[in-house]
Amino acid sequence: MREEDTYQDLASLFSAEDRQLDAKPFVDDVMRGIRRRALMRKLVIAGVGAVGAIVAASQMPSLVGDWITFDDAIVTGIADARQQVGLLATINPLWLAIAAVAGLSFTAVATMERA
Amino acid sequence: MRTDPDLAADAARGSEAAFAELVRRHQGRVRGMARRLTGSQAAGDDIAQLTFLTAWQKIGTYAGGTFSAWICTICWREFLQVRRKTRPEIEFDETAEVIPFERPTDRQDDKMDLTRALEKLSEAQRVCVVMCVAAGLTHREAADATGWPLGTVKSHVLRGVEALRQHLENAQVA
Repeated sequence: MREEDTYQDLASLFSAEDRQLDAKPFVDDVMRGIRRRALMRKLVIAGVGAVGAIVAASQMPSLVGDWITFDDAIVTGIADARQQVGLLATINPLWLAIAAVAGLSFTAVATMERA
Repeated sequence: MRTDPDLAADAARGSEAAFAELVRRHQGRVRGMARRLTGSQAAGDDIAQLTFLTAWQKIGTYAGGTFSAWICTICWREFLQVRRKTRPEIEFDETAEVIPFERPTDRQDDKMDLTRALEKLSEAQRVCVVMCVAAGLTHREAADATGWPLGTVKSHVLRGVEALRQHLENAQVA
């Protein structure tokens, strides 16, 4: 006999109590909470996105005007970044591992995030 | 009837209907557990609600096994978090033989003997009895949920059940 079977009588008393609880209002509350959280999240994302879009749009004229300079700046920036990473790795490879762990963590959080 | 893992898989894909069915199936167990841990219906239902909201967010991490053990583990963690917020000065002591924190007093006069008897147990015994006897977890599942050694859980359940029976008998005699 399993140890759990020695208190089956008490378990039945507890489950009888639990069965008396009205499920519907509770389930409705939980599902309402889930929808409210999802709505809040969408609103926050939409709000932040809208602000970002406005900021980006306000920068467009100068970006388009200086496109060639901007293009050069990106290429130079990438080349500089590669040099910096190479330099950092030469000094202490641990930095690369730290960056990889941070990147993986961000990816994991982004993957687990639910609407 | 669809199994819990099937429903959980659907919920992980975003099905609210599947998750609502899981809530409906397990709400009694989780609310009962939270109510008995807190000693309060209102606080217990709040913790049960938090439990299911957390479960919805983490449903993708449910990797089989009994769903009741998974959801009860979340409930236990929510209970600890709420308690740390409300009474941060008290650390849980699984060896404690007295109730180490003030329990809410929204009790009703017609409360069942079972609940009254449960409140007379030490906190560690009550936790183990609530998890293993009331919520139906195995000793191993309760040990995994609480992080306590299996032998400790078994011992608390054994003594808790014994004490519970004694209190119930005394109540019937009186």
